[in-house]
Formats: sequence, C-alpha cells, structure tokens
Amino acid sequence: MAYMDKVLRINLTTGKSTTEPLNKEWAREYLGGKGLSIKYLYEELKPGVDPLSANNKLILMTGPITGTLVPNSGKLAIAAKSPATGTILDCSIGGHFASELKFAGYDAVIIEGKADKPVYLYIEDDKVELRSAATLWGKGAHETEHLLYEELGDVITLAIGQAGENLLTMACISSELYRQAGRGGIGAVMGSKNLKAISVRGTGGIKIPDIRKFSAAMNKIKREDTMTDDNMWAYSDGTPMIVDLSQSTGILPTRNFQEGTFDEYRAINSDAVKSVLKAKKACFACPLACSNYVKMGKTEVEGPEYETLALCGSNCGIGDMEAVIEFNRLCDDHCLDTISAGNTVAFAMEMTEKGIHDFGIRFGEVEKYLTMPTLIATRQGVGADLALGVKKMAEKFGGRDFAMEIKGLEIPGYEPRGSWAMGLAYGTSDRGACHMRAWPAAVEAFGDIDPFTSEGKAELVIGMQDDNSVKFSAIWCDFWAISTERMAEILTLLLGREFTAAELKTTGERIYNLAHLFNEREGFDRKDDYLPARIYNEKLTTGFTAGRSLPKEEYEKMLSEYYKLRGWDENGKITAEKKKALNL
Amino acid sequence: MKALAFHSEKCIGCKLCHLACSAQNEGEFNPRLARLKITSIHNRDGLMVKGQTCDLCLACVEACPEDAIIEKNGRLSFLPELCTDCGICVDICPPQVIVKKSIGVGVCVQCQSCSNWCPTAALTFEEVNK
Repeated sequence: MAYMDKVLRINLTTGKSTTEPLNKEWAREYLGGKGLSIKYLYEELKPGVDPLSANNKLILMTGPITGTLVPNSGKLAIAAKSPATGTILDCSIGGHFASELKFAGYDAVIIEGKADKPVYLYIEDDKVELRSAATLWGKGAHETEHLLYEELGDVITLAIGQAGENLLTMACISSELYRQAGRGGIGAVMGSKNLKAISVRGTGGIKIPDIRKFSAAMNKIKREDTMTDDNMWAYSDGTPMIVDLSQSTGILPTRNFQEGTFDEYRAINSDAVKSVLKAKKACFACPLACSNYVKMGKTEVEGPEYETLALCGSNCGIGDMEAVIEFNRLCDDHCLDTISAGNTVAFAMEMTEKGIHDFGIRFGEVEKYLTMPTLIATRQGVGADLALGVKKMAEKFGGRDFAMEIKGLEIPGYEPRGSWAMGLAYGTSDRGACHMRAWPAAVEAFGDIDPFTSEGKAELVIGMQDDNSVKFSAIWCDFWAISTERMAEILTLLLGREFTAAELKTTGERIYNLAHLFNEREGFDRKDDYLPARIYNEKLTTGFTAGRSLPKEEYEKMLSEYYKLRGWDENGKITAEKKKALNL
Repeated sequence: MKALAFHSEKCIGCKLCHLACSAQNEGEFNPRLARLKITSIHNRDGLMVKGQTCDLCLACVEACPEDAIIEKNGRLSFLPELCTDCGICVDICPPQVIVKKSIGVGVCVQCQSCSNWCPTAALTFEEVNK
C-alpha cells in the first residue's frame, strides 16, 4: 500500500530501535511529511524543551506518494523544534533519500535521545544499526558521504558538516552533496544528538492495486499537467531565472537589503549560470530537473539556486559567479544554510562599513568572503561571532534596525517593500522568515497583483499557506504548480478513498493551525510576527521600488486581517471555535 | 532490429524509468527490480551518469543451457517452466540488467515503459546494429 504502516523509532541514549505502526488516525488528518511530523512532535515533545537537548526529537517523514510514479514526489520532511527560532521546524529535502527509506519499509524515522559518542545510523531494510562515526566527526558532509558510499555501497545518505557538529543555528543537513534540509538549524539538532549521518538502503517495493492503470494515469498527468509551460522553467533555467525578475521588479536583496536592485546582476543571473552549465539533475521521480550542475574554474556545485545567488551574491555585493559557486560549495560541504549564511555575512559587512562593529569584511570583498563559510562553521576567528546568526549578532553588537531576521530566522531573497504580501508571508510563517510557506511574490511582484497595497493580501497568503501545507505533507515538490483538485485526484487514485479539493483545503488549514498551535504553546504571539525595522522605516532608492517602504501601520493592518480570517484573536491566538472546527 | 538506447548527456537521474519498468513487469514500485540500471551520482570526480540497458545482444539466449530465454520478433521471452535457477544468464549479461528473482529471472522485454516515461528522451527505442 501507499503507506508502509511502519515507523522506526531509534533511541540514541539507549541505542535501541523499535518499530511501531503508523498512527492511521493522524495520517488521515495530516497525510504525512510536514503535517504528520508536526503532529508527532506536538504530541510527543514537552513544551519548552531545549531544541539542542536530548529531549528534542528529529523526525524523518515520507508521504503517501513517496516512492511511486507520482510526478515530483521525491521530497522528505525533516522536523524538530528549531534551535534558531524555538518554533516548530519542518524542512523538506530533495534527492533520493525519501523513496529509499520507503523501499526499506518505513514511512518515518523518529530519532530520540543523544548518543554518548559520535555515531551514524545505518538502515538496510529490517537491519538497523548505530555505528561509530569517530572517523567521520570533524569532516565535511561531502567527504562523509563519499566515505560512507565507499564503505556501504549504493546507499543514500543524510549527513551534517562541521556547522551541525558545532551546533550552529544556521546548520543544515545535506544529501547527495548538494541537496539540503536548509533552515532553522535542523543540522544542529542532529549534531546535538551526536548523530553524524543516516545512510539507508531499501530493497523492497511498494504495491498498490491496479498499478499499471495507475501508472498510465500518472504518465498522462505528467505529460499534460507537469511538463507544461507553467512548470518547464525549472528545466530550462531553474530558480536562477528569478534573478532577472527580482532585479526588474526591484526586490533583489542587495547589500543587506539596503537596495532592491544590483548593478552587477547580469554576473549572477540565469544566463550566467547557463554559461557554465554541465548537466541538469533531478530528484527522485521528478521530470522537471530544476537543478543545474555547474563547473567554473576549479569549483563546481549543483546550484547555485536563486536564494544563494541573491543572499550570497547581490546581498553581499558579490557580482562574481565563480565566487558565488565556490561560496555555495563551501556552505554545502560545511552544511551552512546559504540563506542564513549570506544574510549573516551581509550583516557583518554593513556593520563594518557603518563603523558599528568591525568584523573585518566589507561589501564585495571576494577573498575575505570566501574565507567566511569555513570560519563560521568551525567558529574560528571572526567566524565565532558570525556563527551567532543575525539576531544574536545584533543583540551583542548593535545594528538592530537592519538585522534582517524574523523570530531569529534570516530573510529569504524577496524584498518585502516591493512585495507587501511577501512581508506578511514572512511574518506569519510558522518557522520564522520563510518563502516556502507562501510565495506571493509570484503573483504580486512578478504577477498582476499590486505589490504596494495591503488590500486582499491576508486572504492571498492564507490560501497559499494552506495549499502548501497539503503539498508538503503528501509530499510534492514546490516546483510543480499543482492544483488542489489535481492533488485530490491523485490521492484518490493512490489511496482508494475519495479525496476532494475542499477536504484537502481543510487538511491544509488544519496543518497550518497545528504548526501555529505548537508555537503558541511555546509562547509565541503577535509580538513575534514582526518585520525588521528597515522594512517599515527605510525607503528603497533605486529601480521599480524606489521610494517604497512597507509602513508599519500597513503591515499591522494586513496582520490583523490575517488573524481575523484565520479565526485567531487580535493577539494571534487560535480561538476555541477554530480549534474545534479543525479537530485540534 | 530496434532496442533500447541510453543517451547519458540527456539523463537527469530521476529514476522514473526504474519505477515504470518495475510497475509494468513486476507489479510494484521497486527500482531494484527494474530490468535496466541508470546511475546518476556525485562521486569524487564529479557527476557520474551511467546507463545499463538491454541492447538485445542475445548473450543470455546463447548462454542459457535450458533455452529458457528465447528471442522472438526482436524481443526476449523468459520461459519460467524451463528455468533451473542456474544464474548463468545473470552473470553473463554484458550490461548486467537481468534481475535475479526468488524464482527465475526478469529479462528486458523491450516493452518501452522506461522510454515512454523518460522525460528527456535519454532513453529511446531505436535501430541497433545487430
């Protein structure tokens, strides 16, 4: 069946592993992926748990479509309480791990406790072993993956680098070198458990009724709805395509969000990436292959994605493709999230230029910039300060007005002053500033909706957050613009029970509300749904967004409307009626 | 004669071909039961893409001591009632794409499920020099 009906639970403190049936009732209400991992965490974590303690749990969760021919079904959710924000944290990582875990026979892995020495987890179908990672500790994720592949054969691995070992709140988890569960310090949760890597080999299969009929239906959908003009940008360009769009609409973060355009944007746009492209690469079961494998000079990477080009390129004043590629590769190897790392370096650059604190690096200084990932991940020299991330650096050294973070998570590559709904999406994201919970820039800055008004933005953001909650729970990749109706059609065919778009919209709403409830329990409310002061108070001066800010009263207006439409009170707490309606 | 051909420069490593093959021929989604092997991984030398597909070389037909694998109209057929599970075909197959099962083997029957699914035409069904 589409669910394997088996959860693997590993206690690193005792070294014991057990299996248990998947909670079917929860799976019905939360699907899998994001929703189901959050449900397990909500039920199993005590409020106030220290994210870097043995009491936090790390959950790897697949979804019902994982491992099948459903297009774009290759993603895995990895969830825990976030060390960066203290909120719930679910990340999604591409590649081939999720399907491999399912072929090994599991819907999910729940990792508890803390090993007393560095270990890695090896899963081969029913065989589950904790093995010493003494020789891997201290190594980058790339070398770790190579060594495990050489030792174990054709496994798929999730690994952490030095950033995760050193408990950085911007530490990510890598797989297949260049795929990341990027945000919120998910890699530090692994590091805090002394868990260096997880390697899996699955030799089993997934059986569903009428598999040939199902496959034929999926092939038709793939041809007629996935590989269409709406989605093939992923193959032709991938996310670097967004650089030109952001530049022309004035929302390309530049020099720590001081501007929304970058004079040297052509050095880091899609054409520049294409000029060094060697191959296109896809995740499991994805026909769109957004990934660009590039080589330039002595460096190579699968990337750089738009977020890296924006935050580690224009936002650091770096108009040098080879430098961005190398910075990207270093971040992936050390397991630094490029959104947070780029923001952090940019913040240090502005602090230095403004004379508030001397971090020894200014905008555009390529050589110093290229030393940063290693220094930060290993907490050496100035890297020890930058390893704090933007929020804590501002608390320690000043610059609070231009600390570009929300709830402790650094801001992605879409300037909110030129896309007001993006501001609301960041402010109300369940894990701090995130562009994946809702990405209204697509229809606002890059579309037909007026980006400089608060009208109608709450409804827009809510709809996207709920739709994406379903998508990330099934789990589909973001890059297929799949309708809720299509999701319902596929889930009906796969699971043999009727799904409707209306039901899925409620499921999405339930998932988003549960994430919010988790955060509410941790003490989050309206005071935490802020934007950085720079967004409210400073006007941009160049390009399409010249003269624009997002005034605080306009933001607060959107926020109040958002709470009201969500069925939350003025302080952002879910009302009793809403909880009841969603069975929370 | 027409047979499968692999064009590595077009392959994106999505494994849809593996899933399509195993669904069609084994009735389950299981990449390791596919009668082809496409590898796309980053090793120490960079991205390595490799394709192993049946090109109808007929080495298995010649090697099978029981005539349990035959070629008819440009397609292989496996006759399970004749197979003694000796494993010779699995070992001798030059591209290593015959799947050893609990009983008998799985051979590529050129059903083209893989090439029909391939999103980039990295797998094609075309004339081979035989």
